[in-house]
Amino acid sequence: MARGGRSARVADLSWAVRTEGRSLWSRNAVPGVAVRGERLKRRRGEEWRQWSPRRSKLAAGLLRSKGDKGSLLPEPGTTTLYLGAGHGTTISYLHDHLCGAQNERGGCIVAVDISPRCMRDLVRLAEVRPGLVPVLADARHHEAIAPFLPARVRWLFQDVSQAGQVDMHIAAAQRFLAPNGLSLLSLKSASERSEHGGRGVPRDHYDHARAALTDAGAEVLEVIELTGWEEQHALIVSRMPEEWGKT
Amino acid sequence: MPMRLCWDWRLARVFDDAGEIVDESVWGGRRGVGAVADRLERLSSGRMSDEARVLAQRFPEAEPCAVHDLAEGDWPELALEESELLGRAAVQLARSGVAAAAGDADRRLEHLVRAAGELRAAWGTLEARVVEWAGLFLPALDLDAARDAMPQAVADADSLEAAATSLGTEAADVVVPAAEWKALNGWAQGVVDASARLEAVEQAVRELSTSHLPSTSALIGPLLAARLCTSAHGRQRLARLPAGTIQVLGAEKAFFMHLRSGIPPPKHGHLFQHPWVNRSPRWVRGKVARMLSGKVAIASRLDAFDGEPWGADEAAALERQVQAIRERHPRPPRRN
Repeated sequence: MARGGRSARVADLSWAVRTEGRSLWSRNAVPGVAVRGERLKRRRGEEWRQWSPRRSKLAAGLLRSKGDKGSLLPEPGTTTLYLGAGHGTTISYLHDHLCGAQNERGGCIVAVDISPRCMRDLVRLAEVRPGLVPVLADARHHEAIAPFLPARVRWLFQDVSQAGQVDMHIAAAQRFLAPNGLSLLSLKSASERSEHGGRGVPRDHYDHARAALTDAGAEVLEVIELTGWEEQHALIVSRMPEEWGKT
Repeated sequence: MPMRLCWDWRLARVFDDAGEIVDESVWGGRRGVGAVADRLERLSSGRMSDEARVLAQRFPEAEPCAVHDLAEGDWPELALEESELLGRAAVQLARSGVAAAAGDADRRLEHLVRAAGELRAAWGTLEARVVEWAGLFLPALDLDAARDAMPQAVADADSLEAAATSLGTEAADVVVPAAEWKALNGWAQGVVDASARLEAVEQAVRELSTSHLPSTSALIGPLLAARLCTSAHGRQRLARLPAGTIQVLGAEKAFFMHLRSGIPPPKHGHLFQHPWVNRSPRWVRGKVARMLSGKVAIASRLDAFDGEPWGADEAAALERQVQAIRERHPRPPRRN
């Protein structure tokens, strides 16, 4: 068997994201540059970056999803909203998929984070990755985010580790997500308070989030527990109904 | 559906009750990155664009409405060059937002307070080592009495004998190799250097704290005020804390032990460092800390919400109150 995992089964999730056996790769939009020191490899003139599920909850969700993994990703070339962008690790892979080199696909990621420390890393990333729009703002403050979005988005991701994540997610989805849009909530159970005192069990928080999303009218497609890669985290995938956001 | 007014950084439109476009005003200025960034910043803070303002005057009955709530096709999509412009303007805004964080006194104070804490801890270990190490070679020296003078004396001397002479004692009768003396001498210089740096950092804390938290600093001293502010994660959050929380700031471990296992709650956290608390007899410390935390809660609100700052008068009045508490409880309570 040839070295380099030639035997591993390759499955394309999109034009720029694929799994090889149990690892996930994305087509590097900035060839030669690793964003966080990840492995790079060349295949038929294309450079691919390894997308580690330990560093990215989206990657963990993609690898562990039982449904059609590709359907978790946004349509390339569309506009997406990412709340809680952090230092931009996941964002960089999303950019590979959504925009490609020099934004050949014409996609856009509005990446919101409240921390100036994170924002400076995002700015550096945005300088070499056109299509990435960094916004220094509180994700709960919709007014500050709205001017950067010309229309509702079809894909929303939220990863903010603080109490009230579920309500925040629903509010953001109601404000910015298009009908039939996909919303992904990375829920950190440890950030939530428990109604019964003490820490509470992660499953309770997942169930509560599922119920809250359903109550708001969303259809919860999958609750992907990330245990093993991210403890006490789950990725909750839901789809908004046709009449979503209509006033 | 009422008449609606929508706008983004490019244009503003008025729709009538049937959803038809009644009027439109398009931004005609030169589309540079800086100009777009200015517009985005203005919209982000919830204000209208100039175009929207014009239309709002023309149609006062039109209700403001987000472009995201319009039906599909009612708002023009971003053209390619508009997307690029938006992206570059966003980068510029984010960059200036990051730069503005440097003016955030809370962040600066946090670095200073933590730097002072780390330096003090480091100084403590270095100083203890130089006293024991040099003391080994100066067997006749009273280490307690000479402790304060030792680092400087060892750092300034060019031999063990010279250090002994300057401390008024005699060196032990052993041969200390040059390399070993050099190591000891360098260590002592490090201690002297650390004290100077600690003094500089604390001076900076005092200055920033006095300007950022004038009332709290006047009441309990700038160093303690800075520590409380950092523990509370900023001036605004300190001002929003109840006095009971301020009283136990810095004693989180004991406090959560209290919640978890029901041991008595801590009486004081950082506030213990104030002489009004730690120089009081044991049985009034809790009472003093409780009263003090109430006053700090008021002072921190004066600081955060631009009140008339407190000064030496209020601090003197507070000291009298502390005295009164001490006099009211001259003896420990009797145990039953």
